[in-house]
Amino acid sequence: MDVRKFHLEQNNDATFNYFKLMKEVKRLGDLKAKIDRKVKLAFLADCATQHLTMLAQVIGANRGLDIEVYEAGYDTIELEAFNPSSALYAFNPDFIVILKSAEKLKHKFYAAPHADAAGHMVQHLSSIWNAIKTHSRATIVQSTFVVPLERPFGNYGRMLAGALDQFFTDVNHKLVEAARSERQVVLNDVDFLAAAVGRRNWIDEKMWALAKEPCALEYMPLLAHNLVDLIGSAIGKVVKCVVLDLDNTLWGGVIGDDGLEGIRLGDLEDGEAFVAFQHFILGLKRRGIILAVCSKNDHHNAILPFQSHPEMVLKETDIAVFVANWNNKADNIHYIQQTLNIGLDSIVFLDDNPFERDLVRKMLPEVIVPEMPEDPSQYIRVVAELNLFETASFSEADAERADMYRVEAQREQAKTGFERIEDYLLSLDMVITLERFNAFNLPRIAQLIQRSNQFNLTTRRYSESDCEQLMNDGENAFPFTLTLEDRFGNYGLISVVVLKRVDSELVIDEYLMSCRVLQRGVENFAMNGIFGLARQLGLTSVRGSYIPSKKNGMVKDFYAGFGFEKIHEESDGTTQWLLPTDAYLDQPALMRTGTLDFLSST
Amino acid sequence: MDRNQIHDKLTAIFRDVLDDDSIVLNDSTTADDVDGWDSLSHVNLLVAVEKRFAIRMSTREVKSMRNVGDFIALISQKLAQ
Repeated sequence: MDVRKFHLEQNNDATFNYFKLMKEVKRLGDLKAKIDRKVKLAFLADCATQHLTMLAQVIGANRGLDIEVYEAGYDTIELEAFNPSSALYAFNPDFIVILKSAEKLKHKFYAAPHADAAGHMVQHLSSIWNAIKTHSRATIVQSTFVVPLERPFGNYGRMLAGALDQFFTDVNHKLVEAARSERQVVLNDVDFLAAAVGRRNWIDEKMWALAKEPCALEYMPLLAHNLVDLIGSAIGKVVKCVVLDLDNTLWGGVIGDDGLEGIRLGDLEDGEAFVAFQHFILGLKRRGIILAVCSKNDHHNAILPFQSHPEMVLKETDIAVFVANWNNKADNIHYIQQTLNIGLDSIVFLDDNPFERDLVRKMLPEVIVPEMPEDPSQYIRVVAELNLFETASFSEADAERADMYRVEAQREQAKTGFERIEDYLLSLDMVITLERFNAFNLPRIAQLIQRSNQFNLTTRRYSESDCEQLMNDGENAFPFTLTLEDRFGNYGLISVVVLKRVDSELVIDEYLMSCRVLQRGVENFAMNGIFGLARQLGLTSVRGSYIPSKKNGMVKDFYAGFGFEKIHEESDGTTQWLLPTDAYLDQPALMRTGTLDFLSST
Repeated sequence: MDRNQIHDKLTAIFRDVLDDDSIVLNDSTTADDVDGWDSLSHVNLLVAVEKRFAIRMSTREVKSMRNVGDFIALISQKLAQ
């Protein structure tokens, strides 16, 4: 069960929820047994973490993540980080969670006040990050500090760097600035969580005194959720699309009955709430979330407000796929999913109607279906509190993604006019560019590596720093990207391939592609390029492997399609493939070549 | 609420929090006598007791408890306040 759906079924009593989760700790073994996605999490903290790590494992398991935990001894952050042979590094974690308590920071501040105490504190944390970066490829998850309740100067404290409360605010501010320039650091904004529930509820001095707990136990699940959200997004479990109902979701009333003038949107009654909700949704689109509409309506009625209602925030061009008909919503969401070529588990469905929500939950259990409140004024709060749209990075390409998918949906429709697929492909006027990894592309490359699941031959989740190393190994590594453009627009970066020279062979170490560009001949172009390089380097053959994962069944026979011979098969389904360089015949690729450069990284 | 009622309610809380219906408590019971009653679950028990009896125990009171008898006496005293 997805924890975000589980979350909805819980009542509002935080203590009740805490104990409910704690009981699941006993069943953790069973929960984990069904999961194939492992993540190794190390905790460095100057507070107790046992309850937190139990909760994180349960919440992770409920969301399909098998979290293996290493807990460093209490208050041993520096000892572990600065010692290259510490148990921390022997554990080889994927993530290192640094959890710093407000109590300890407070104590430090009172014991030795200093004019630039905040700067020193953050410098110290930076030195810990640097040590970790030297010895580990792990992503560092750094907590912010919960601003304390005490204000020795009252409101005036905000004017003084030397006041305790302002000191905390300064530390958080400098921490954020320092983290922004770090590729390996993400922030766990604990101060936001505390502020959201109220710091006076979050802070539990007695639990600190008794057991060094970082917060009141009843809010520990929030902290654990936040961590799992971060981890999930960093390994590519992200929401890509929001599917929206229309009547009583985006506006009040029923457009088919009430007409354009009758729906509530804007000043009328609760119409302001719908305008605010549309702004919230538009913000998601600008952040790269694809928007789709799924409404039980006649199409001409459904589209009308988008075209002519003066208070509509969302426009027709904001919606990538617009489905208004009388079919059941599960089928329509399935259609939307196929048109966009994304996973069902990356879709959120928002609908005010409990019947529709229930139907979609039952028929498409992977789709995330939040429980919506009756009052539209509460829509934003309820959806926002689920923190569904966590991301580990953001780039300009993300901002444009929603529009790219809309263009893609148009391409799908254009396909119908051609008899032969070749004619269609030629009409696209595709231009493809092959480039070695370069500094400019690295963040986007790392992101694609984390996100791609289906067309991914070996699912090696190289981090940005791994990619940088590959980029710099000019002798034996040939990592490259493909970017594609056609008459409808620019796809951006669509494929990542890592080639390695091993003895007299060229080994395809990793090969992944965005599913948006399947069946356009891009695979052929890439393979032609790979064999071209093998010839250029005088290598005798090309070797590839397929490592099965839960989601990459579609490329199981990828190498067979190019005439590779299967030379080895393991019990877990991993296969090895080989094809001599001179036995390969170039495959048709109906596209123009922009650049083809394996060697120079700009 | 008399001592017996507190005892029964406390037993129910222990059984629920430690997820073990076979737990039997008497005044001399200590953490060593109950499977699963360790320093981690102790914190959980404290929170559950405070919530369900609607009382607040001080740090010192909590730290000075030696056995279940002390626990019941403390709850009883708090309820009387």
